[in-house]
Amino acid sequence: MQFVKRKIKQRFLFSLISLTLYFSFALNWTEFGSALRARIGESHITGSLVIFISLIVLFILLELLFIRLANKQDADHQRLAP
Amino acid sequence: MTLRRAYQILAWVAIWLHSPATFAAAGDLSGEVQRQGVNPVAIVIFLLFVVATLLVSYWASKRTASSQDFYTAGGQITGAQNGAAIAGDYMSAASFLGISGLVFLGGFDGLVFALGALAGWPIMVFLLAKRVRNLGTCTFIDVLSVRLDRNRIRLVTILSTLVIVILYLIAQMVGAGKLIQLLFGLPYEVAVGAISILVLAYITFGGMLAATWIQIIKAVLLIAGVSIIAFMVLKTFEFSLEDLLATAAEKHPKGAAVLAPGLLFKEPIQVLTIMVSMLFGTLGLPHILMRLFTVPNMHEAKKSAFYASVFIGYFYLALIIVGFGAVALLYGNPTYYDAAGQLIGGSNMVAIHLTTAIGGSVLTGFISAVSFATILAVVAGLTVTGAAAISHDLYAEVLRQGKPNPRRELQLARIMTVAIGVIAVLLGILFQNENVAFIATMPMVVSASVNFPILFLSLFWAGLTTKGAIVGALVGLLSSIILIIVGPQVWVSVLGFDKALFPYDYPALFTLPLALLSAWAFSKTDRSERATQDRNNYHSLLLQSELAEQSQEASMAATKS
Repeated sequence: MQFVKRKIKQRFLFSLISLTLYFSFALNWTEFGSALRARIGESHITGSLVIFISLIVLFILLELLFIRLANKQDADHQRLAP
Repeated sequence: MTLRRAYQILAWVAIWLHSPATFAAAGDLSGEVQRQGVNPVAIVIFLLFVVATLLVSYWASKRTASSQDFYTAGGQITGAQNGAAIAGDYMSAASFLGISGLVFLGGFDGLVFALGALAGWPIMVFLLAKRVRNLGTCTFIDVLSVRLDRNRIRLVTILSTLVIVILYLIAQMVGAGKLIQLLFGLPYEVAVGAISILVLAYITFGGMLAATWIQIIKAVLLIAGVSIIAFMVLKTFEFSLEDLLATAAEKHPKGAAVLAPGLLFKEPIQVLTIMVSMLFGTLGLPHILMRLFTVPNMHEAKKSAFYASVFIGYFYLALIIVGFGAVALLYGNPTYYDAAGQLIGGSNMVAIHLTTAIGGSVLTGFISAVSFATILAVVAGLTVTGAAAISHDLYAEVLRQGKPNPRRELQLARIMTVAIGVIAVLLGILFQNENVAFIATMPMVVSASVNFPILFLSLFWAGLTTKGAIVGALVGLLSSIILIIVGPQVWVSVLGFDKALFPYDYPALFTLPLALLSAWAFSKTDRSERATQDRNNYHSLLLQSELAEQSQEASMAATKS
């Protein structure tokens, strides 16, 4: 049961991180996000665009990390199980 | 024009994005479309696709002997294949043409839908994939009935599944008919009939195996097509993203504002309503959840969700280039505008025009054919899901209490496939001149407000009871339908009132919490005998959902030794 509880905590932690990152994207449309809308240096690339690309990459990396962790934990649990 | 047109596009994009299938002829779907000249390359490539997919269906039909084969391809699809098929559901013509059109009109704001489509996948992996896979056999409704009263909960969720599938199909068929008019110059009725006949040929015989392989083929073609377009756009700007964005800012009527948020959406709540509908809608779509059962084990299910994210992520990153490429290369180019100064075919045609601008008629023909193919693939997946709701969930599990005649169940699944195909054609023709934008909005909102809340609570809250789940589902269903009706899509655009009673098109931000709250309140106050049983069932469900895979592997190892 401890194993299951740990897995649930992990599920919610990863979900919370993802949802926080996801909904923070809406900050782009607030006063707080005015800094994000600015161009980076002399280029035409805006902070908003960088955040969009970063979020896509981050989501994929989070999934990869979660799957690796889950697979390792499952393997360990199976090895230690009586 | 831009704001009204943008709103129409938004509604279409929302569904197609997820359904994965779609795009629409930029806001012109409710009226007459401008028929285009026939592109012979498109016809040839599309015919090749049809022949290839019919051969796939013939091959699949030889391997579809049982109802399990029909619903879930016998669980023999690998993780990578299933990931490509799921991605095929998402990387629709809608995503491709719709988001490109949105970026063309509203710049950065168009990307909100792309993020919403992708962000559902990590949550699917973290929260749902393993548990749904370990508890169900064919549909997500199996999962709910593990701990709740199987008959009552099945009847409610069959209703929500059919509402989602039928609305989706109407939107798909109307959109497809109009799109094919635009791309191939075929009459609307012929286009809708052709789609239905092809889908019936695929699914009636090949079931989910055929649907999956058709999605895989389409996904590969679409990724190839988008990659070629993105490459050629970058080549035009000597592989300088800075030059591309600078030209886009120079050509767009709103200037550099096109590169930052704020052209389409003015307030964060408006953005949040879309984000909530897109993310949680994805997590409750019955045809997407059904794909978790087409792989042989949990490991492959997780792999497939991960591969899907990689494909979808790549696709949306490429769409940034395509969208801003269209802004840079089409604005001010008279070749793609009519005498009235409107973009020919509407904003959803920008990706096609961009393709012509950089690749000529051969590449345009290829992309047009892939766009048509994408609709076929999505309609195929929806048809299997609708058929399974009747033949598996209603006939086999409710009427036959889980002990159906296997031959009769398979027969019924095939009959229901034909019935759904016929219904889709009839509704497609019936709604052809209607403003169906609100129909396109509904599936995502209903999915987020009905399916997701009860699926989530049944998996993660021990206190959920059958009564609470049913009340939550019905509150979610009714509130989402009512708020869509009194919202801008129906109240203003369809019924002609000056001002909407509810200001947002996507009410899931409000209806999802309402459904959760109702389910919680009615479960908490439920003192029935069934409620005690439902609560007691949670512990075994928890262990089964987390450990079923390991128990199976351990018993297999023990058997071998």
